[in-house]
Amino acid sequence: MYPSIQSSSIKYQLLNKTAPTSGEILFISDLHLSPDRPAIIKLFSQFVNQRAVHAQALYILGDFFEYWLGNDDPAEGLEEVFLAFDALKYHNVPVYFMHGNRDFLVDSEFSKRTHCQIIPDPTKININNTKVLLMHGDSLCTDDIDYQEFKKTVRTEKWKNEFASKSLTERQNIVHSLRETSKTETSQKSNEIMDVNQNAVNETFTTHTLGWLIHGHTHRPGIHHYTINNQSATRIVLGDWHDHGSILSIHNSPSENSFIYKLEKFI
Amino acid sequence: MSENTKVKIETSMGDIELELYPDKAPITVENFLTYVKDDFFTNTIFHRVIPNFMIQGGGMLEDMSQKETRDAIKIEADNGLSNDRGTVAMARTMIPDSATAQFFINAKDNTFLNHTAPTDQGWGYCVFGKVTEGLDVADKIISVPTTVKAGHSDVPVDPIIINKVSIIE
Repeated sequence: MYPSIQSSSIKYQLLNKTAPTSGEILFISDLHLSPDRPAIIKLFSQFVNQRAVHAQALYILGDFFEYWLGNDDPAEGLEEVFLAFDALKYHNVPVYFMHGNRDFLVDSEFSKRTHCQIIPDPTKININNTKVLLMHGDSLCTDDIDYQEFKKTVRTEKWKNEFASKSLTERQNIVHSLRETSKTETSQKSNEIMDVNQNAVNETFTTHTLGWLIHGHTHRPGIHHYTINNQSATRIVLGDWHDHGSILSIHNSPSENSFIYKLEKFI
Repeated sequence: MSENTKVKIETSMGDIELELYPDKAPITVENFLTYVKDDFFTNTIFHRVIPNFMIQGGGMLEDMSQKETRDAIKIEADNGLSNDRGTVAMARTMIPDSATAQFFINAKDNTFLNHTAPTDQGWGYCVFGKVTEGLDVADKIISVPTTVKAGHSDVPVDPIIINKVSIIE
């Protein structure tokens, strides 16, 4: 029997550390984990147990949490999520965490607690000699002018410092009010406004001189192929975890300078 | 029923014997045997060695130059054979019908390389044989230190040379 890390409801199996990995690199985003959605927390735990502990690396590309108030938040109801990070650490699976628009207050303390390496948006990685850009995706939604203005405000050091200096209850109230506003505004915005702007996508491929982009945020999972500046370009959009999980699995390939990818549901 | 053809790959780290499956991959086996008969593989190397994945060779020389090959063959990856540990499959570019001489030995069950759909991403890699003896040699090759050479990653620091490939039965 191998030891286990466990809470009252979930047990993370700890395998023999010498067991070979699956070799896959996993990408997820938009889980919107919150104590209000215990079924999704359980699904994430299953994903960690069944897939992530065997993986070569795990990339989380934003909105992992529905909101993140700061390290003094006891995060009641999210205990299993933190145990999952412990299990990943035990298996030596590197975890890279990019924040989204919901959890942009994660910091070095959070990184220490979860053993994740926090990565900036955007981040360029190399898979089998192929450059791939990772983003959360909200910066591509340039048609949503109200959101982009709001983002500018809350990302200033001044706003973040002021927010951090408030009591936990005050922060909870602010976030509650922001979530309500966001819900109302989202229901009134057209689908087009909340998707990426094609010019912003083209500019991203051109600026970073690469052919692969992976992002989340829009909750519209899909694979889009383009020709930009006579070069082929592919944009992979991760899905959200609402009714089911959504993962992108990438494996190395026997073809040089390429990789094998699969966008799949996790149920 | 006739026995399947067996070939021996003599490498600088030991011999590996393969059984080929002409019934399942007729074009691929015929293509491979043509290269064997032409003595094409002599002095080529295993130039791409990735632990927990595969070893790939049969197309490049020690100086990392590519040997000139015959025309590419039609892919037969939809033959139902799985890229399991010890099986041998054809390497190729991202274009499905692009395999020539390079082959690889799967070091573990790489089922994600199997055929799932007739698309660029789904075609998979064509298995045409399996190692019957010398899998330990393949395991030894996979654990050698690697480096970047001539723009290629995962190249063994000390070249693993294929001295000869011959038909043994």
